[in-house]
Parts: sequence; structure tokens; C-alpha cells
Amino acid sequence: MNDEGNKVKTSEMIKVFWKSFLIQASWSFDHMQSLGFAYAIQPVLRKLYPDQAEYESRLRAHMEYFNTQPYLASFILGAVARMEQDRVSGRSSSADISSLKTALMAPLGALGDSFFWGALKPFSAVVAVSLLMANAWWAPIVFLVLYNIVHIGLRAEMLFHGFMSAGDTAELIAHYHLTKMAKLFKAVSLTVLGGILGMLPTWRREFRMALPLPGAVSAAAGLLATLILVAILRRGGSPVKLMLGLAALCLALAYGGVI
Amino acid sequence: MIAFDFHIVLSIVGVAFVGGIIGLDRTAAGQFMVSQPIVAAPITGWMLGDVTTGLVIGAVLELIWVLDAPIGTFVPADASIGAVSATAIAVIGSGGTALPDVIGFSILLTTVIVPLTMMIDVIARKQNSGLAEYALAAPGEDVSRKLALAHLSGLVVFFMKSFIIYLIVMPAGLAALLLFARMPKQFHSAMALFVKLLPLLGAALVARKLSTRTLDLFLLMGFVTATVFTQFIHVPALSVSVLVILAGLLGVRLSER
Repeated sequence: MNDEGNKVKTSEMIKVFWKSFLIQASWSFDHMQSLGFAYAIQPVLRKLYPDQAEYESRLRAHMEYFNTQPYLASFILGAVARMEQDRVSGRSSSADISSLKTALMAPLGALGDSFFWGALKPFSAVVAVSLLMANAWWAPIVFLVLYNIVHIGLRAEMLFHGFMSAGDTAELIAHYHLTKMAKLFKAVSLTVLGGILGMLPTWRREFRMALPLPGAVSAAAGLLATLILVAILRRGGSPVKLMLGLAALCLALAYGGVI
Repeated sequence: MIAFDFHIVLSIVGVAFVGGIIGLDRTAAGQFMVSQPIVAAPITGWMLGDVTTGLVIGAVLELIWVLDAPIGTFVPADASIGAVSATAIAVIGSGGTALPDVIGFSILLTTVIVPLTMMIDVIARKQNSGLAEYALAAPGEDVSRKLALAHLSGLVVFFMKSFIIYLIVMPAGLAALLLFARMPKQFHSAMALFVKLLPLLGAALVARKLSTRTLDLFLLMGFVTATVFTQFIHVPALSVSVLVILAGLLGVRLSER
């Protein structure tokens, strides 16, 4: 059973990697990434199950409910590829594979959301905005490079790591230190954000305010205004409401003759 | 003042098409963050011949929406539509380089439609529910083909959602801009100030989400570093940006001890 024909090769894993970029193409509230997972794992199943009926049966099985953070889905795809290979050689069962998916998707979802959406994305964004405020037109390129070096690198590595470890999350957490990295990115993001406010008097022309104050004082005024807004946000309020409120304040200042 | 001639119609359709493709990156394909305002808005500005307006709109909307994340079943605001539409309305409506008041008004217009775009996004995702049933092939049918067809149809749904929204929002925005041109001077001054204050609101939104403290120590450290280097040592702003990142890394290292 366990001959070369029944082993997953790197070429199949590369196909899974490319297809994983479309894991959310048919995202819906009730099925979420179910079709996406089956679509991505399909090259592995095609390789492992030459019998058409068994192949179709396994493909249908992978259309079950699935949802996790889309990048960390790579780890689960790798682990499932390994488990499917083990299933062919009799070392695991369909139930084991389904259980593995169910067990991994929620914790990896939480881990990925916190790292990618909550830390890496704001870090890349504030660095790019900081450069943009300093008149660097190439800031959007920096944003894409910073984000995607980590994003694509981890996505590729985790696919193979998932395969090699057969879905061992303890090893994943020990190997990648995502929680520690998230803390680092958040702290540096806050520092850069403070830096953006400190550079207020030198912001690019479109944002520069002609305040009759020394530079350091106008920067402090900007910091104070931001902290007031943070305090307001802590009491509730969505970005849309705050933007409309800010527009209303500007109108009041203009019609009141202040500006 | 602009008139809806063939060139403008062509620009609107072109931006709607590119915006639809960019919008796929939000959820359906890749998620390389090309759909983020800081990238999507400059691309739109470049297409229409005014990158600067795209950079300005991209910077403020990036800060405002960056931490509005798609966690679980939550559908975040479509910042891509906001960024692309605001840039297109400002640039097309100005017939060249957009002035700050026009930029401010365009951002305000696209802010008002955020709840509407979120609602349409929810409808599109509900529409995708039917694709799972379609993917279940009947006996004798090619399962792989049915699955691929059903799954990739979602791309068309997501694209069409954005494309149609752009085709409605941009002409409506440009019509509103015609009214804006007739508004009193105070209204224009208010919109120019609005653009200048938006980065502070963006900074507040990011600080609020990244820290539980109102005045975080890292935020304060970055502020002091940047103020000292720009105001007292007179280091160029670009170099200060790099120094602040280094200060942040140093701060993390020290806080770990």
C-alpha cells in the first residue's frame, strides 16, 4: 500500500499552496471555507486515491464545515495531507482526519486573527503611514513588502510544517512564537504611532496645520487631541460616527468663524 | 465644474472594474492586502493621473480602518470601496489635482455609505450559501469540476458586488460634488480642516485597539523620540521614522528584562 504512488510529493503540496490562496473564494455565513478547503486539498486526494469512487468520497468528506484564519489554514491543509497519506497506509481513519480539522480550526483561527489582523497588519500600516507622512511616495510598497514577506513566508512554511508534524500544534506554537511576535509588533506599532504624532509639524503639506505655536507645542496639542479621542472611543462609538462627528465639529468651527 | 462626458463614463467603468478586481483581495483571493486603502487608493489615483490624492486618502483611511478585522462571521467595513471611491470622486470631480476641501468632502461622502456597503457585502455572502449545494454533484457527474465551478463562482459574486457598488457610488458622488461646488466658503474650509484632523482620529482608533491604556508608554516613547529628533536635533522626517522603529524595538527589549 505504502509505495511511491501513495505518497504525497512536493509537487502536489505546491499545487495545494497555490490553491490555498483561493480558500475563501466562496466564503458564506453557513459554510464558510468548506468548499475552499476541499478545493485546496484536491491535488493531494487525486494523487492518493486512484480509484475514482474513493477519491470522490474523500473530496465530499472535505466539504464539511470548516473555518479558520485563512493563512493558518495552510498548517491544517498540510496536516490533513499527511493524515490522508497515513489513511491510505492504514495508520489513520476518516474520523481521525475530521477530528483533527475540528480540533485545529478554532485555536488556529484565534492565533492567526490575533497575529495577522491584530498585530502584523497594523504594524505594516503604521510604518507605511509614518513614511508617507514624511513624504515617501513609496510607502505603499513598503507596506506590501513588510506584510507579505511574513504572510507568504509563513503560509508556505506552515503548509510543509503541518505535513511534517502531522498537525502538532504544540510544536507549531513552540516553533513560531506567534504570540510573542504579536506583542512585539503591537508595541512597535504604538511607538511608531507616537512617532507619527511627534512628527506632526513636519507632516506632508496636505496634512500640515498652520498653528501659531512652536513645533513641539503643536505636536503636543496633536497628542492631546488624539488622547481625548481615545478617551471618547473608550466610552463607545464607531469609526463612522466619529468621522461624522469630526466633520460636524469642523463645520461648527468654520461657521463659528474660528477657521 | 465637470460634465458627464464619454471620458468620465470610461473612467468610472475603468475604476469600477479595477476596484472590483482589487476588492477580491479583501476576502476571496490572496489577501495580499492590495485592497487596503494605503495601496488601493494610490493605485486608483495613479490610474486617474493623481497619485498624491490617492496617497492622502489612503493614509487616513488606512489608519481609520486597519483594525476593523474579519473575525468569525463579522463582516468589516469595506475600506477598499471607501478608498477607491473617495479617490475617484475627488480626482475625476476636480478634473486634475484635487484640492484638500474636495478630498475631505469625498471622504465624508464615502463614509456615509459604509453601512450600505456592509449590508450589500452581507447579502453577497448569503448568496454564496447556495454554492455548497451546487457543488454536491449528482451521481455520474464530475465532482472535481462541480466543486471548482461552484467554488470559483464565488469570485464572480464578490467581483460583481464591488463592481455594481462602484457604478452607483461614483456617479452619485460626482453629482454631490457638483452641489458641493455651490456650497458657501465656510463649508469648503470645514472640509479642508476635516482632512487635516482625520489622521488624529485614525491614530486614536489604532491606539485604542492596540493598548488598554489611554496613554501607552510605547506611544509616549515614540512621541518623545520623534519630537526630540525633528524639533530639537532637526533630523529629516524620513530618518526619524526609521529611528522611531528602532526605539520601539529597543523599548521592547528593555521591557523584557
